[in-house]
Amino acid sequence: MSALWHFRTFDENFGPDGQPREVYRDLFERLNRLPRHEVRALDGRLEATMREMGVTFDIHRELPWCKRGWFCDLLPQIFTPAEWDPLAAGIRQRLRAFEMFLQDIHSKKQILLDGILPERPVLGSEYFQRAACGVPAPGGAFLHLSGVAVCRLPDGQLAVKHHYFSNASGISYMMQNRRALTRVIPQSFQDTGIHSISDVPTGIVEMLRAHSDDADPMVVLLTPGPLSPAYSEHCFLGRRMGIPLVQGGDLLVLNDKVYLKTVAGLSKVDVIYTRLSDRWLDPMAFRRDSMIGVPGLVHCIRKKSVSVVNAIGAQLADDRALLPFSAQIIRYYLAERPLLPTVPTYWLGDIDQRQMVLDDLQNFTIRILYGERIVLGGDGNLPSHEKLEAARAEILKNPALFVAQPQSCDAETISFQDGDRRRRRQDHIIFALRETGGDLCVFPGALTRVSTTESEFTSSELGGGSKDTWVQAGADSQPDEWDSAHQADGQIPTHGVTSRVAEAYYWIGRYLERAYDLAGMIGAIESLELEELNPVERMNYRPVWNRILPMLEVAGSASRRTISNPEGRYRLTFDPSEPGSVLSTIHRAFANAESVLETLSLEAWGVMSQLREKFDAVAFDPAAPTETLAAASRELCLFARQAIPQFFGTSKVTMLADDGWSFCEIGQLIERAAITANATTSLSASLVDLSRDRHGPHAREIRLSAFLRMLGSRDIYRRVYQMRIEPLPMLELLWKNPVAPRSVLRCLTGCASRIRESESNLSPATGRALAAIEALQQSIRSTDWETLLENLPAGSAKSKLQAHSEDLLARLLALHTTICDSFLNHQVLIHGETESLF
Amino acid sequence: MLFEVVHATTYQYAETAMEAYLETRLTPPTRPTQQILSHRIEFLPAAQASDYIDYFGNLTSFYSMTLRHPRLKVVNSLTVRTATHRLPAGGLAPSVAEARQILASSGPRIFDYLQPTATVPLGGPSSNWAREFIRPNLPLGDCLERLNSAIFSEFKYHSGSTEVDTPLDKIWERREGVCQDFAHVMLSVLRTAGIPCRYVCGYIETEPAAGGPLIGAVATHAWVEVLVPGMEWVALDPTNNKWQGEQHIVVAVGRDYLDATPVKGTFKGSASQKMKVRVTMRRIPEKP
Repeated sequence: MSALWHFRTFDENFGPDGQPREVYRDLFERLNRLPRHEVRALDGRLEATMREMGVTFDIHRELPWCKRGWFCDLLPQIFTPAEWDPLAAGIRQRLRAFEMFLQDIHSKKQILLDGILPERPVLGSEYFQRAACGVPAPGGAFLHLSGVAVCRLPDGQLAVKHHYFSNASGISYMMQNRRALTRVIPQSFQDTGIHSISDVPTGIVEMLRAHSDDADPMVVLLTPGPLSPAYSEHCFLGRRMGIPLVQGGDLLVLNDKVYLKTVAGLSKVDVIYTRLSDRWLDPMAFRRDSMIGVPGLVHCIRKKSVSVVNAIGAQLADDRALLPFSAQIIRYYLAERPLLPTVPTYWLGDIDQRQMVLDDLQNFTIRILYGERIVLGGDGNLPSHEKLEAARAEILKNPALFVAQPQSCDAETISFQDGDRRRRRQDHIIFALRETGGDLCVFPGALTRVSTTESEFTSSELGGGSKDTWVQAGADSQPDEWDSAHQADGQIPTHGVTSRVAEAYYWIGRYLERAYDLAGMIGAIESLELEELNPVERMNYRPVWNRILPMLEVAGSASRRTISNPEGRYRLTFDPSEPGSVLSTIHRAFANAESVLETLSLEAWGVMSQLREKFDAVAFDPAAPTETLAAASRELCLFARQAIPQFFGTSKVTMLADDGWSFCEIGQLIERAAITANATTSLSASLVDLSRDRHGPHAREIRLSAFLRMLGSRDIYRRVYQMRIEPLPMLELLWKNPVAPRSVLRCLTGCASRIRESESNLSPATGRALAAIEALQQSIRSTDWETLLENLPAGSAKSKLQAHSEDLLARLLALHTTICDSFLNHQVLIHGETESLF
Repeated sequence: MLFEVVHATTYQYAETAMEAYLETRLTPPTRPTQQILSHRIEFLPAAQASDYIDYFGNLTSFYSMTLRHPRLKVVNSLTVRTATHRLPAGGLAPSVAEARQILASSGPRIFDYLQPTATVPLGGPSSNWAREFIRPNLPLGDCLERLNSAIFSEFKYHSGSTEVDTPLDKIWERREGVCQDFAHVMLSVLRTAGIPCRYVCGYIETEPAAGGPLIGAVATHAWVEVLVPGMEWVALDPTNNKWQGEQHIVVAVGRDYLDATPVKGTFKGSASQKMKVRVTMRRIPEKP
């Protein structure tokens, strides 16, 4: 029967007589009655349902929005009570034993002192964290939410293939499969008595909440972020449990407590459900180079101010080198006979086992002790000679890093594709929860993993698919209905977005506005160059350009480039090594957007990606002919002038108008105000000359016109004043016009109203930020520009106009610090609790 | 002898840092060889710090600073009275083979002190030295002294010749380094030979009244402790070709430098920071 594979495995659906097994008979009969096109249609609907629910498992990390849809098969896996109950009992027994093992190893190490296990696979494990010894575990236990991989031995006996005790990865896919299948073939559920798994998230969040003494504890889910392949699972769990999904950068440690940074202030965290591997969790205790962890978190656990589930150190139980010792561990701690066998597993650090495996290598699956990588086999096929030799060489380099399991251990099953039946290989991950009282509850369901057309492996990391898994209700138990009341997502917590997200948006706003203004100025110059300027005009334009542009560059930029030739402008547009170039600025905006990808709308991300792609597609070559350079600058600056407003517009209509978005607009407005103020201030020195008519009214007109054109405000000036350009109305337009889009006053009014609007900003910081903005607005309103312009000094002395402009500019730039300190990095809030600096 | 030590560590950031977290292993343990008369760790900017005992028994302080700050300073001040260590004759007399046999029964308790670490790999050049100096049939004490003086004479002390992360291979190749490298070489040879040992971080008096200067860095010093039968630690200083004496003050221990680092930190908000360390150790005359 299994011509597809070289190993004889157990057939899940059919008996030795070629007939469907009892438990599958009804389902097959029903499926057999359906015409092929209907099966295909169902299959299509199932796939579409999965996509619609947004279930992905992303193994192509570099393509954030091309996530791989999750594959769920039409034909479920079914367990009878006769098979399930002993399986669940075996899993509970194993979890009890490994819990005791973890406690022992992190304290007395009695099992080693008694010589039951060799020291090397335990104390030498990469997963054994010395920093976890002596650190209190939540509720005194290491394992609270666990997974275990189970498969069939060739005789059909279920056996443990791998422990995922510390990380119940895949639990959301188990639930999503059920949700999708009940939508696509609801009738199957009505006449089959199967256990419900709809209250799994409730069970988990109740367990998490119980690990705090607080009546209403703050529980968060810590994820490595959107680049993790299981990120969709983290989002699902966070949503269904109604707890915030946070990344390391969202948390900080202060006075031995963990806080969540939100724009409304710091919020103490009581329980963390972590999906980070121990070694990334805290750079102070584990890997020093971790950028995704929370420095000091372990110390807070130690001081009992926070509970982390599962406990740090729990990963040791998942070291594959311990699988061969499972039976010893169960017998040693429980004095019981093991109920559930382990797939024969050989640790290659042992010389005898290694020899045995190497002599018969083709029949084994070789895995690394840690993670999901498979070195050899695992696909049901005899490996080629080359693969065998490569694996042998790799094993011999460091044998203690590998385990071997027979290839014949996964079962064979039927899976549908395009309406056709395909033969696949499968295994199961089953999940268990330690309830508040200490009882272990095995969820009646599983993530059944199947090989697919694109992958011969079952592991999701290696491209496998899945099946919904039904556990039939026994005669004595009540079969549950899939409770749709439980399907609703949990309440979105009221803390709003975290400071990290708000800060990223703030910078998206600032960088995009900066890129927009810069592109506008370069574009303006390029088009002026096209217009036949006479030498007088040219002479009068240049100083204005040169004065304004450098102000836009990042302070401390090494080179002060000229923008008076096409190459200079080309560099200012495209030079990737120039921190202030349009390209670099767009890259920075993009990097910030990427860090909050999960909160951006697909449409907004599309505009942002297109902008970046368009700029990246230009091969930077400043040595090209002048006309080529000018054309490239002109074209791309024009594109940026269209795409950036498009981003803001699209985001506004496609995204939540939450704090994240407010801060994007605040960033945009602050940047625009700063550029206006900066440019105006830089011009104030030369207004001395201009207003003295040294160059004649024509030259003045040209210069001021060039200036306004650079700021995209010439037409606005004309509409407001309908007269030639004079210094006084120009200053008034740019500083205090209440409706001109660029005016500093108008930008500040916008900032203040965004801050006031966002409802979650109830912190004292809001008042402080608003007060600073209002004070500045007042100063701008009350400035008497006319008098300042009249009192221009002769010679080189700094004018009052200049001094006043500089003062306003400095206060405007200080607003950035005020806003950051108040909402983003919490300098203000913390200040009261600590002593002053130095 | 009575000593007063002031050990200052300063981090100067390239830009102002927003968050800083420090872990310090700066509290000298009380031992028969040293009595702590006073000890104080001062953090600047001041903030709450709290303590715990780490896996290797070091009293560790954790400090977090979440305010914007331009630099960070840790000052460790102590007054310590040291005494000479009486070497355990019973522990040093057995042959190397016997010692290994006796220690092997301690199983998991000594496991860590026999394993390679990322910083202290075993084998390679250490194998030859282990064969040469740690002879199974010779008394353990003699072997340790021979190894200590071999490292002292074969390796050149050269201040600033290595970084904290210079790999051990390079040290073997160049035959020069600082106290930390001398200690790592010794650990590698001893562990290759199956003798459990650990890294010691501490202070040493560098300008003694008489007898020529001892070599330390103007920073902290490092040497090695060896576990001998009777489960006692004895300490040798390969940089100075001596047993640990009255001029040594033990501060922290571990498998290697990384476990016993006096001050380590994680910083946010600044791209880089420069660390400056200054240790002054002054002997206080005592009336007999």
